[in-house]
Amino acid sequence: MDLESLKTKFYQLVAPSLPNEWDVEEALIPLAEAETEHLDEIFAQIPAIWPVSHALCFTYLSAAAPALYCLAVDELSLWVHTLLDRYETGGLRGAQTFMADVEQQFACHLRGQGGLRLVDVRPRLQPYVNGLAGRELPLIVADEAATDSESIFLPGTIGLFAEHEDNFLLYKLMVSFQWACLEAGVFVAPPSLPLRKKSAHPLDCFFSEFQKPGNARSLYHLFETGRVLAFLRHELPGLMRQAATLLPRLPLAGDEAACPNLLDRLQRGLLRGEWPAGEPSPLVDRAVTLLRQGAEEATDNTASLAAVRELMPLLAPADDLALTRPLIFQGTLRLQEMRNLGLRRQTNKELRLIKAMTVQLPPVASKAAAREPDPGNGGGQQGQDVALIMDLESAWEQLPPFFQSQAQRIDNGEETVETRQQNQEQQAGSTVTEQSISATAGKGGQVFARSPHSRPEEGPEMTEPVVYDEWDYRRKGFRKNWCVVTEKELPPVQNVFIEQTLKQYRGQIRRLRHQFELLQTSERFVRRQREGNDIDFDALVESLADTCAGRPPSDRLFIRLARDQRDIAVSFLVDMSNSTAGWVGQSIKEALVLICEAMEVLNDRYAIYGFSGMRRLRCEIFPVKRMDERYTRVVRQRISAIGPREYTRMAPAIRHMTALFGQVEAKIRLLIVLSDGKPEDYDDYKGDYAIEDTRHALLEAKAKGIHPFCITIDRQAHEYMAHMYGEVNYIFIDKVKQLPARMSEIYRTLTS
Amino acid sequence: MAGRQMRIDEYRIEEEPYYLPTGAEVDIAEAAYQDGSPLLLKGPTGCGKTRFMQYLAWRLQRPLVTVSCHDDLSTSDLVGRYLIRGGEAAWTDGPLTMAVRAGAICYLDEIVEARKDTTVVIHPLADDRRQLPIEKRGELLTAPPEFMLAVSYNPGYQSVLKDLKASTRQRFIALSFDYPAPDKEIEIVRREGNLGLELARPLVKLAGMTRGLKDSGLAEGASTRLLIQTGKLIGRGIPVKTACRAAISEALTDDRELLAALDEMVSSLF
Repeated sequence: MDLESLKTKFYQLVAPSLPNEWDVEEALIPLAEAETEHLDEIFAQIPAIWPVSHALCFTYLSAAAPALYCLAVDELSLWVHTLLDRYETGGLRGAQTFMADVEQQFACHLRGQGGLRLVDVRPRLQPYVNGLAGRELPLIVADEAATDSESIFLPGTIGLFAEHEDNFLLYKLMVSFQWACLEAGVFVAPPSLPLRKKSAHPLDCFFSEFQKPGNARSLYHLFETGRVLAFLRHELPGLMRQAATLLPRLPLAGDEAACPNLLDRLQRGLLRGEWPAGEPSPLVDRAVTLLRQGAEEATDNTASLAAVRELMPLLAPADDLALTRPLIFQGTLRLQEMRNLGLRRQTNKELRLIKAMTVQLPPVASKAAAREPDPGNGGGQQGQDVALIMDLESAWEQLPPFFQSQAQRIDNGEETVETRQQNQEQQAGSTVTEQSISATAGKGGQVFARSPHSRPEEGPEMTEPVVYDEWDYRRKGFRKNWCVVTEKELPPVQNVFIEQTLKQYRGQIRRLRHQFELLQTSERFVRRQREGNDIDFDALVESLADTCAGRPPSDRLFIRLARDQRDIAVSFLVDMSNSTAGWVGQSIKEALVLICEAMEVLNDRYAIYGFSGMRRLRCEIFPVKRMDERYTRVVRQRISAIGPREYTRMAPAIRHMTALFGQVEAKIRLLIVLSDGKPEDYDDYKGDYAIEDTRHALLEAKAKGIHPFCITIDRQAHEYMAHMYGEVNYIFIDKVKQLPARMSEIYRTLTS
Repeated sequence: MAGRQMRIDEYRIEEEPYYLPTGAEVDIAEAAYQDGSPLLLKGPTGCGKTRFMQYLAWRLQRPLVTVSCHDDLSTSDLVGRYLIRGGEAAWTDGPLTMAVRAGAICYLDEIVEARKDTTVVIHPLADDRRQLPIEKRGELLTAPPEFMLAVSYNPGYQSVLKDLKASTRQRFIALSFDYPAPDKEIEIVRREGNLGLELARPLVKLAGMTRGLKDSGLAEGASTRLLIQTGKLIGRGIPVKTACRAAISEALTDDRELLAALDEMVSSLF
């Protein structure tokens, strides 16, 4: 196909965008030679990529034809799917790396030859290790296996063996080994070890006593490995039986070395059982004896320390054991990180102690009391109060020097946590959930760019932001962690709105309350039952008469008290977009007041939330009434405060409601959405994309057992509504004034 | 009367049930019995609450009337009702009334499952009055000193809606049950499941691991009862891993990933 027709086709696909002609030409030149079948497939992907990033689309066009050398034509869409995921996690650079090497980055995984990835085994191994440890030990991607006592680090992929089962077993062995290291106390410093430097791990101090600390460290690690393997054989015999076939096949550093050193020989013995026999060297001989003895008998790491102490002087000065790679499951000893974590825990504990002491200190030395003399201060009780609120500064001077020094170090501890958090982010990319970040540093949410347009008159954020995926219909997949939803407080407003509404609709409210009363839990007697609380005398008389008349008597002689319990929870989700300004907004608010008044006679639990926002990073939810909140004056004032704000990105709000419903137990869970038209946002969130995303969010809600129902206020019905909400799950109201009356009616019909 | 006597005798426990005390629960329960105080047993499922009641009944030589509560249980189901027999209305005692009359132990299992208005009927029985009003007959039964009321519930998985009313729970002497300590649990599994130590030990270890999975999506870990059932399967010649899968993993969860993780634990241990 010639370049001109390619260009025409391209412009048709990206309309109404009009990218620079020279950019398009440059991107399309490599495709001029491609086969028509390939071209069709390549062009078919453009609508999915173009809206995500124009630059990515151009890069894709240049890379697509070469990619088809490695891929079958029908694999291209999967490749693009993965490409978009990469773009979202690693940006354009990540996507370029991905496109640069189709074989290594994609095709081999597709054929199952790319080794096993931690992401794929984590769902299986994470609960496994949590079960082993009895606590959460997150599995995090790193270059080498290791643990810092709060997480286990593992390589991102293992492709050592041809079979997936073997690679999986190696992962499992690594995880179990790292857990066993913690369990067997590899990192515990025996009390006999002197602590030379507070900031360093005592074991590190021990290693630094020797001329070559690296040698001591490697030796210690190997001796401990022998002990931990023995521990595993005892604790997890099944695993070690499986691993028996795996261990001899693991690569050894000594296989390549021309002249294996002590560590190489010991590793070989440990993994393959090939112990150096008939060695002339007394060093190797002694080391082997100590290693085997330690593995058999030792219950803690003192034997390994003793072995290091004994063997180190015997090593030749030229020997550099640190050059030998540790065994793959052994990984590295992260002693310093462990120490930092330990110090942080300790300082936190001390800080709590200091705080507790501050409260208990006598009031005499209180500066606060001196600065702000209370005219009515009669000592006694008030003096104690002052002590309670006394600032830390005055407490500081009373602290013993030990505590002062400890407290000063707290800042350092915090720094460590932050670097750790950054490390985690780097190492694990987007896989670090916000929860885990907030768990590590209590600074959850700071990874998200806050919009600079945050309106100061809005209430503060009430909870940490939550991220939700967004459905992209063009690629039939989710954009991961795409929308950031924040719950914001809606400051109550005092005005005459509620009063006026109650007055205007007083007749209707009375009628509604009566109708709703009929919906209440009803107790009724059911007659003529086989079993029941009481005898149904009418039935009994009939039955006796039947018997006398020679007809078969009925055995349904009892009355049963039946109770129809309503176990309903409902959430009203209200559109607060700019387009609701005016009558629509007013009617929605009136409808809410009416339904609340009517709901008060029922025992149904209900919640009201408003939503609006701008762009995917600022989807806002405004709780008007939470599920467990009562319908108070404040709630009424919040209803008054509902007003037009920004855009209608409906799906994240629906997903948030679905998540909130997860905590509510009820037989019927109903989500009623009130909006005034199509979902739309400031960015590309409009048209089919927005409709499909909303539809998908509603389907997700349904899958979770929530019944969504949408009330749309619009001048005319639109085709998209039936598709988006589902044929029977929406109602369209064109006369705004009808809304207050219709809404209660709808609710009644839906729940009875 | 003779019929009633026969019926209550069916509830007697003749042979000593196996029960390994884990604390002072037997002493406390016996003291409560002497004082006429009712018992509240709480603890996770399958940790030995019901077995403890059987053991207590055997020790005290009283019949044990057990009622499994459900949300359709009415007051008449507990107290009794009129039935039609041969054209006449005849009163039939419910299990609670029967236990009170015979001076037995009445054990209401999973009491929170019963509706709150049903539970109220035990209130006058559970305080110092020790009386059971039978409204339909206009009768007020006073419990003999041998009668004991015991209820149980599992605080773990019930929703907030199904909590016990304060006015109900404040009438009871409460005994908290949990899974036994590992050495005791090994002993129980070994004896009840008829297993050797080499299998009982890893089974208990496995149970410990599953109990640590609360944050990973498992509502409750494997109970002692499940371990015993597994042991019995193994005793019938089912291979260990298959028995663990059938009696533990599949019984605990339907989640595929959790099942896979549980399989990994089993294959590591055996």
